[in-house]
Amino acid sequence: MSTDLPAPDGPSEPVVQSVAGWRAERVRIFWIWLVLTGLLVVFSLTVPARLMGPPASPTMHSVESTMTLFSVAASPVAALVWAIALYSLLRWRSKGRPTADGPAIRGHAATTVAWAVTSTVLCVFLLVWGMAEMIVINSPAEANAPLVVDVTGQQWVWTFSYPSQGNVESDQLYLPVDRPVIFHVTSKDVIHSFWVVQMGIKIDANPGETTKTSVMPDKIGVFDVRCAELCGLRHAEMQTSAHVVSASDFNSWLSQNGGHS
Amino acid sequence: MSAAVSDVAPQASTAPTGGGVLRRLNIVTAVWAGSALAAIGWFIAHELWQDGDHGSDQVVLVTLICWSVGFMVGIGAFNGPIGWIRGNDLAHEDELFLAGKDQGIGRYFRFTTDHKVVGIQYLIVTMVLFALGGTLAMLIRTNLISPDSQFLSAQTYNAIVGLHGLIMIIATIIMVTGPFGNFIVPIMIGARDMAFPRLNALSLWLIVAAIPVLFSAAFLGGIPTGWVGYAPLADQAPPGMDAYSIFILIFAVSSAVAGANITTTVLTMRARGMSWRRTPIFVFGTVASVGLALPAFPLFMASQILLQVDRTQGGQFYVASGGGSPWLYANLFWLMGHPEVYVILIPAIAALMELTPVFARKPLFSFNTAVIAIAGIVGLSVMVWAHHMYAAGWAPDLNGPFMLTTEMISVPTGLLFLVILGTLWRGRIWTTVPMLATYAMLWNFIIGGITGIYLSDVPADYALHGSMFVTAHFHYTLMGAGLTGAIGALAYWFPKMTGRMLNERAGYISFWLVQIGFNVTFIGMFAVGLAGQPRRVVTYAHLFAAGNLVSTLGAYCIGIGMLVLLYAIVSSWMHGPIAPANPWGAKTLEWTVPNPIPLENFEVLPVVTEDPYGYGVDEAFLTAELVSGSAPRTASTGSATATQAEVAAGSGQQVATLDREAGQL
Repeated sequence: MSTDLPAPDGPSEPVVQSVAGWRAERVRIFWIWLVLTGLLVVFSLTVPARLMGPPASPTMHSVESTMTLFSVAASPVAALVWAIALYSLLRWRSKGRPTADGPAIRGHAATTVAWAVTSTVLCVFLLVWGMAEMIVINSPAEANAPLVVDVTGQQWVWTFSYPSQGNVESDQLYLPVDRPVIFHVTSKDVIHSFWVVQMGIKIDANPGETTKTSVMPDKIGVFDVRCAELCGLRHAEMQTSAHVVSASDFNSWLSQNGGHS
Repeated sequence: MSAAVSDVAPQASTAPTGGGVLRRLNIVTAVWAGSALAAIGWFIAHELWQDGDHGSDQVVLVTLICWSVGFMVGIGAFNGPIGWIRGNDLAHEDELFLAGKDQGIGRYFRFTTDHKVVGIQYLIVTMVLFALGGTLAMLIRTNLISPDSQFLSAQTYNAIVGLHGLIMIIATIIMVTGPFGNFIVPIMIGARDMAFPRLNALSLWLIVAAIPVLFSAAFLGGIPTGWVGYAPLADQAPPGMDAYSIFILIFAVSSAVAGANITTTVLTMRARGMSWRRTPIFVFGTVASVGLALPAFPLFMASQILLQVDRTQGGQFYVASGGGSPWLYANLFWLMGHPEVYVILIPAIAALMELTPVFARKPLFSFNTAVIAIAGIVGLSVMVWAHHMYAAGWAPDLNGPFMLTTEMISVPTGLLFLVILGTLWRGRIWTTVPMLATYAMLWNFIIGGITGIYLSDVPADYALHGSMFVTAHFHYTLMGAGLTGAIGALAYWFPKMTGRMLNERAGYISFWLVQIGFNVTFIGMFAVGLAGQPRRVVTYAHLFAAGNLVSTLGAYCIGIGMLVLLYAIVSSWMHGPIAPANPWGAKTLEWTVPNPIPLENFEVLPVVTEDPYGYGVDEAFLTAELVSGSAPRTASTGSATATQAEVAAGSGQQVATLDREAGQL
């Protein structure tokens, strides 16, 4: 194709630096990459899990490990992209309009293959990790004698009932610590989403369907239940508390509310 | 007046050559005809159904359909088909009139078929949509500046969130393939116009007709469902939801028409000699985008037809108590919804891949890899939709397979990064505004991509789904990569489209304000999302106050930056310096035509003999020079001769060998 390019009137400065210079450039990019990777790894190890707060279940623990691990694994990748981009800006930038072209590199098979293979390997790792993690987070559902809680969403309240404990009903969630729980979740009107934030579990409450999720709370305390699916006018207020208490406190709460253990 | 105009259509049929009627139709007659028909429709529907169970929805439905049909009649969209039915076609001078020959500014307000006019019209429509969607974003962020701001009522807030989402999705879908796909692509491939110029005008005017439909939602109770319009919340929503449905129906037709047109144009009208390997990468990106939209949007359309049956006829498609399923809607929606994000991203990134070689003065690094990567993304993107539904409970056993397909998409996406980095590698980097957009994309899209990997992981998604983390993630992809790419494309093609140079200083100021504001906004949003703030909430726990304040301040910074960009565009368009035909020294065909571009672009159609990335000096030659010139003098002449012999063969592999040898000297 034709071009109106103001003719590159011959390289006015060396277009390619001395070959020894090239080696030095690669070394410098390597160092930038290493430093960026280091910074990102430190960020990965400290920030995401801390923002998510102390976990209240093995599930949330596993999710936070995943966030940390994926961040660490992504660090060298992001650092590589940013290091090359940054270096190109610092070193290869021309002041104003370039007077000559760069080298006519039209691809490099080995780099492309290495890039594709590395990302595929990372991808397989993510998948395997995710599958293993799914087994972990599903384990409370397969445990012996789990507590069953029926969760019903309706605009804009949650109702929890305990079918094997005399159908005790409550608008706050009470759970005994260290006992697996299975939630049977449904809705009376539109889609809601049952989310116990610090336990890392979430499942939609669908009208006409019952969905299931499970968890084993391992920490005594008060946690947040929020609706995570826009459900109308007062969606933002559709939240309540999850109280994780000792087994004996749980039993006394049940009997106070007319149930049995 | 309105009665006179609603007679226009019958007149058109009595004057099949277009004649006088053709010349009298423009956006004003369209608005009159649309309003008149809407009034008639409203009156009839009101009389018939007002008291029924679904009365208000039926009245709104009929009124909005009447508006759209009337608008299209009034703009002259049906003149051609009516003529053909009567066995006539337009005379040559009518065709020229339709193409906008010698009409000045008026042609931008008519059913004009010239692809350059349509491109500019799309640009204006896109900017209008961004202005409105952006204003709504400012309202949302202002409300969220503190947990107790109470700036908006919950009802208003929910309505605005849905409108903001939908307007921005539509704006980003058309932001690249609309203005640049229509204006630039035909010239880029050496064509005189699109394959179907009248369909081109049709696709544009359908969107123009649909925009008032979308905004009418604001006066009909809003779209309180978020832009996803999930049923059964949508079944109980106010008539704003009907406006949503009609808007989607019209937009789906528009995108199908545009997609068929652009695809056909590229398949059949490329210049002689423009084999696929000589076709610019932006053309591939555009075709991939509109081609992907072709199967995607009909599903959205179907979902809305079913919703309208529910809402206006008492159907129960999505109502569980009547045997329906909300999961049906979610599946139809996401079958469109995930391909749709790549409809947005691919052309934006392709535009950056097009302009990066120009400003790095190097060939695109591995054209084939770029094409394969785009094809890979297109293929995978139709197989990942249910990752939006991991937590829906719809099909838990499918979560694993969808995790696989979703994570696989990072492989071709990673190759796009490689192509751009490889192009930058050792380039002669010219940091114009378009080139800065490439750098911003590399920064933002890495963050958007990595946070997408967390969300692809099923257990992590259980924790993060429906939180602000997701909102931040998709803004990093669609805005940080997509919109940034579109702004880069605008800055790049502005001299060709307007004939004037974009104000550089304002461009830089806007760039930095938008990019810094953007990162501040959405990093704050990632933080509150990780800490557990749900999406689409009008108020939130005090725990999230700091992060939200940061986000709001960042959003204001984006807003100011966008105003600066608007100033740059308007002032440069009106009185910027006149642009030379090829200000960047680029090698694609659109830069070979003069400014202003003649009606049919090329006086003589070009013949293409090479690909458009022939930048660069033969590296082997230069390296050889260096070896003989600047390497230590101990290098024997014999070695230098050998080097030059190798250079003659000139492959990259030999250059690498040479590097190593020279390093040992």
